[in-house]
Amino acid sequence: MSDTEVISAERKRAFSIDLKAMGPALALLILCIIGYSLNSAFLSEGNITNLLTRSAFIGIIAVGATFVITAGGIDLSVGSMAAVISGVMIIIMNNLVDTFGAGAVTVLIGCGCSLILGIGAGWINGALTTKGKIEAFIVTLGTMGIYRSLVTYFADGGTLSLNFDLRGTYRPVYYDSFLGLPIPVWVFIGVSIAGWVILNRTAFGRYCTAIGSNESVAKYSAVNVDRIKTATYVIQGFCVALATIIYVPRLGSASASTGVLWELEAIAAVIIGGTVLKGGYGRIGGTILGALILTTIGNILNFTDVISNYLNGTMQGLIIIIAVWLQRADWSKKKV
Amino acid sequence: MFKKSIMALALGTAVVFSGAASAEEKIKIGVSYPTPTHAWAAGMNWHAEQAEKRLEELYPDVDLILVNSPDPAAQASALEDMVSVNQIDALVVLPFESDPLTDPVINVKESGALITVVDRGLSKEGIEDIYVAGNNPELGRVSAEYMKSRLKEGDNIVILRGIPTTIDNERFDAFMAEIEGSGINVLDHKHANWNRDDGFEVMQDFLSRFPDIDAVWAQDDDIAIGVVAALKQAGRDGDGMFVVGGAGMKETIKGIMDGNELQPIDVLYPPAMLATAMDVTVAAFKSNGPVAGRYILGATLIDKDNAEQFYFPDSPF
Amino acid sequence: MEESASAPKCVLAARRISKSFGAVPVLFSVSFDVCEGEVHALIGENGAGKSTLMKILAGFQPPTSGDILLDGEQIDLPPNGEAEDLGIVLIHQELNLAEQMTVEENIFLGRELTSRGFLDRLTMRRQVEVLLKQVGLDIAPTARISDLSIAQKQMVEITKAMNRNARILIMDEPTAVLTPSETKLFFRQVEQLKKRGVGIVFVSHKLAEVKEISDRVTIMRDGQWIGTKPTSELSLDDMAQMMVGRELSDLYPPMNEVDVDAPVILGVENLSTGKVKNVSFDLRKGEILGFSGLVGSGRTELFEAICGVVPVDSGTIKFDNEVVNFKSVSQARNAGLSYLTKDRKGKGLLLLQKMAPNMSLFSLPKFIKNMMIDQKAEEKALARGIRRFDIRTRDADIRVGDLSGGNQQKLLLAKMMETDPRVIIVDEPTRGIDVGTKQQIYHFIAALAAEGVSVVVISSEMPEIIGICHRVFVMREGRMMGALTGTEINENEIMRYAAGLKEAS
Repeated sequence: MSDTEVISAERKRAFSIDLKAMGPALALLILCIIGYSLNSAFLSEGNITNLLTRSAFIGIIAVGATFVITAGGIDLSVGSMAAVISGVMIIIMNNLVDTFGAGAVTVLIGCGCSLILGIGAGWINGALTTKGKIEAFIVTLGTMGIYRSLVTYFADGGTLSLNFDLRGTYRPVYYDSFLGLPIPVWVFIGVSIAGWVILNRTAFGRYCTAIGSNESVAKYSAVNVDRIKTATYVIQGFCVALATIIYVPRLGSASASTGVLWELEAIAAVIIGGTVLKGGYGRIGGTILGALILTTIGNILNFTDVISNYLNGTMQGLIIIIAVWLQRADWSKKKV
Repeated sequence: MFKKSIMALALGTAVVFSGAASAEEKIKIGVSYPTPTHAWAAGMNWHAEQAEKRLEELYPDVDLILVNSPDPAAQASALEDMVSVNQIDALVVLPFESDPLTDPVINVKESGALITVVDRGLSKEGIEDIYVAGNNPELGRVSAEYMKSRLKEGDNIVILRGIPTTIDNERFDAFMAEIEGSGINVLDHKHANWNRDDGFEVMQDFLSRFPDIDAVWAQDDDIAIGVVAALKQAGRDGDGMFVVGGAGMKETIKGIMDGNELQPIDVLYPPAMLATAMDVTVAAFKSNGPVAGRYILGATLIDKDNAEQFYFPDSPF
Repeated sequence: MEESASAPKCVLAARRISKSFGAVPVLFSVSFDVCEGEVHALIGENGAGKSTLMKILAGFQPPTSGDILLDGEQIDLPPNGEAEDLGIVLIHQELNLAEQMTVEENIFLGRELTSRGFLDRLTMRRQVEVLLKQVGLDIAPTARISDLSIAQKQMVEITKAMNRNARILIMDEPTAVLTPSETKLFFRQVEQLKKRGVGIVFVSHKLAEVKEISDRVTIMRDGQWIGTKPTSELSLDDMAQMMVGRELSDLYPPMNEVDVDAPVILGVENLSTGKVKNVSFDLRKGEILGFSGLVGSGRTELFEAICGVVPVDSGTIKFDNEVVNFKSVSQARNAGLSYLTKDRKGKGLLLLQKMAPNMSLFSLPKFIKNMMIDQKAEEKALARGIRRFDIRTRDADIRVGDLSGGNQQKLLLAKMMETDPRVIIVDEPTRGIDVGTKQQIYHFIAALAAEGVSVVVISSEMPEIIGICHRVFVMREGRMMGALTGTEINENEIMRYAAGLKEAS
């Protein structure tokens, strides 16, 4: 074997690794090019802002889901959880208007309750999975149904609406900008950075990866498996609560149709981003790209009338599969 | 809703136990409809419960049995129970889906009960004695008529449609037929699934895409809420821009009463249609004239002048 | 070599096989053949290329160059185990059984008998019963694989191969997890297979077994063919020497006696957990304590309870003169007690991760600086571990699953030692690793003891217990049968306790 052969083999390897990691970024880039070629307004400041803000909900939830999935779990309840948290939050704030007025205090208490509810709901999922020894799929499928029916019950089958005076106070949380970026985008950025640091730089993140790779190894390596797994669901609940806090001021309402299918979008964002569904390997950066890809698909479809409305689902499905294929396909093997 | 099904259940059992004494002389009418999962259906449920109270007070010998079911199979079972347990004299049914419920309704008919079908027709003709429904094409047509009265040739509108279904198609096709030839441009139409969040996002994208929009047909009041939020966010809610929704949500109607210029009208798809059907069915037993036939409720244009009579502040919708 | 390759009865032969993975060559022109009714042993250190050669022989990997001959005809073996249809069956070291299915379902997996489109369960069960009887395996055909011991699973694999009318059986360390008595049973089975004309490729690190069972031996080293000889012409020392390429005079290190007044660091009294009943023993500072017994005698359960992996039912544990009851592995670790599992792939290492995260996982709190993992310290620790335990790898970024067994074991030791333990429990520390690495591991253990670390060695291999331990405890069916010291430590005594022929009163 000559030196040049070695070098070219190394290069091949580096290239294939790059392509895998870059898969989601590449897919997003292609989408943006398609969007721009369909309509130059796609890259207008307004549309980009809309896109980022819209991605914030799914993105924040998906950052939480990255932890759960990396540690080998799954949470199907996030969409319903978001709905029930927004519902309860609205009820609480509406009732507090008489006592505290329609000012920031009421909103802050509402947000606080939202966080407590999110953490509590996450803990329930985690405890049932670890202490109750029930598969996460079943636990969260169960809580998904419970939360969804609870919000329908609270809303009497209809819609819960935020008090109109409160909307004025709360509205800026969704609609205002700071340094040119809407506040939800800042929250998204904050959650992403925190998520990345926790997953990649702390013992907790390392433990999540270890548990997802092999629970027995983690247990024999002095990792408190139950506690770490429960914590991933708590983080997920916290993220859902954060997403809810920026969701409620948008339309000021919650109903049985709030957050429908968010769980699948969040899981799809995580997997598109390169995290392994069965656990052991997580990528926060990829998750963020995944969330952006999902929102961009919907956005582009709204920007064109070339494709029949009825085929929206087909386009979304195709793009999701292609995005994952870009990172999974074994590029290096093909060249041998 | 849970508490309501319990109520209905309790009511049903109460009838069974007290039935021995008064069953002979009471007229029993079963009312079966899907469990409400969205606001319009919740409104329908509310109106039906109001009608039950009102009719039973008015006619002490009438017993209305309200049962809602979460899926077609459950509804079919509920219909069987109504015949076997409650021995109903008449059935008011809003079928979950047409095909799977056609046979169960035929079975009820064979027991000798009077059949009233609401909103969604069955797959076979001639089963029902009475048919009560909203008018989807009319909703589209009335909306388009209003658009024509407000807009002039060369003005631009966008359309946000519902969930891809027959209902949505009927509304949309009638709207397009009416608007044709008026010179008003329909820039594009997208599905917003009768959902506020989707309404918001689709409208945001329309606003980025089309710099000049004069009016929006949102088809539904839930979508309209999202549309209005998007318009306000973009600061494009002035200059005579207006949004036409549909269905008759109480907040929307309150807005019309208060003179909201962004949503000056609404087109009714009456959430009270199940209550109307109950009225007609009771009338079939109480009226001296013939009642059987088809009742197609109007898609009334609600504006400032008549809004008050469609405003039910206690209804969830 | 050449003349034996062209011998008339040879079923499967490999001629001048070379293999490279990417740019890395792992086999250099190796020739190998196996004939009807013979056992051909393949020996060599870990990383010598035995696994690769086996996979090539069974068609799982194509050779880069060279020929495969089946019945004298050149052939390209079909990939992915389809060579089984040609009668060539490879039994992997990690057994290939569907854990949640029953014995009979596994044996017939992929070639189920059907009658009129339905599974013919009755016939299949009868056949399985006959086969199990032949193997001397006393389990029900309906037993679930996950409920079987490793040894039983091994036997099921062999039964499965027999059911497929294998002509060539390639077995990767089949005896690594078997007890001596199970091994005997297994060898009887091998003899029967031989009589039926099956050619067997037998890979093992246990040279005594190779000597006992094989007809010919092929030795490999560093991807090269070193030699093929009739077993009768080779002594154990010859084999070891050809494998390692150097003299292996001192497999076991010289024994340092423990101070008579060395303090007791771990004292266990009347401990019960699961099937372990009333076990007592003590361990002194700097002592190497052997735990012998048959597989399933409760040794692993005993120490898993002591280290907080499973709860203790009753009894007292004194660590450093304080009564302790570790509720979790982390408590035990913090106190200075570390357990090294015998299941290195299932419980010891994250096979898909790189070396550094594996190395630091057990002692991760040590690597935390400002709430974050100090990655520089991790790298340093890895470099230290690689040096100290002589972990040999081309690439520090390699996934642990791609390391050879011996290097994995060394990494596992390094991982455990990162916690700076005062007591270490090593469970089957040399399972499935070559003699050269074994020697290194024995020397590490002796050196640790000399530094004052106390060591418990749980092992089913009597020579190593005898070779490195100061005292030996023997367990049987969850109970402590007796303690041996000094000259009492010999195979005969241990065996009598382990088999229940003798018990300390």
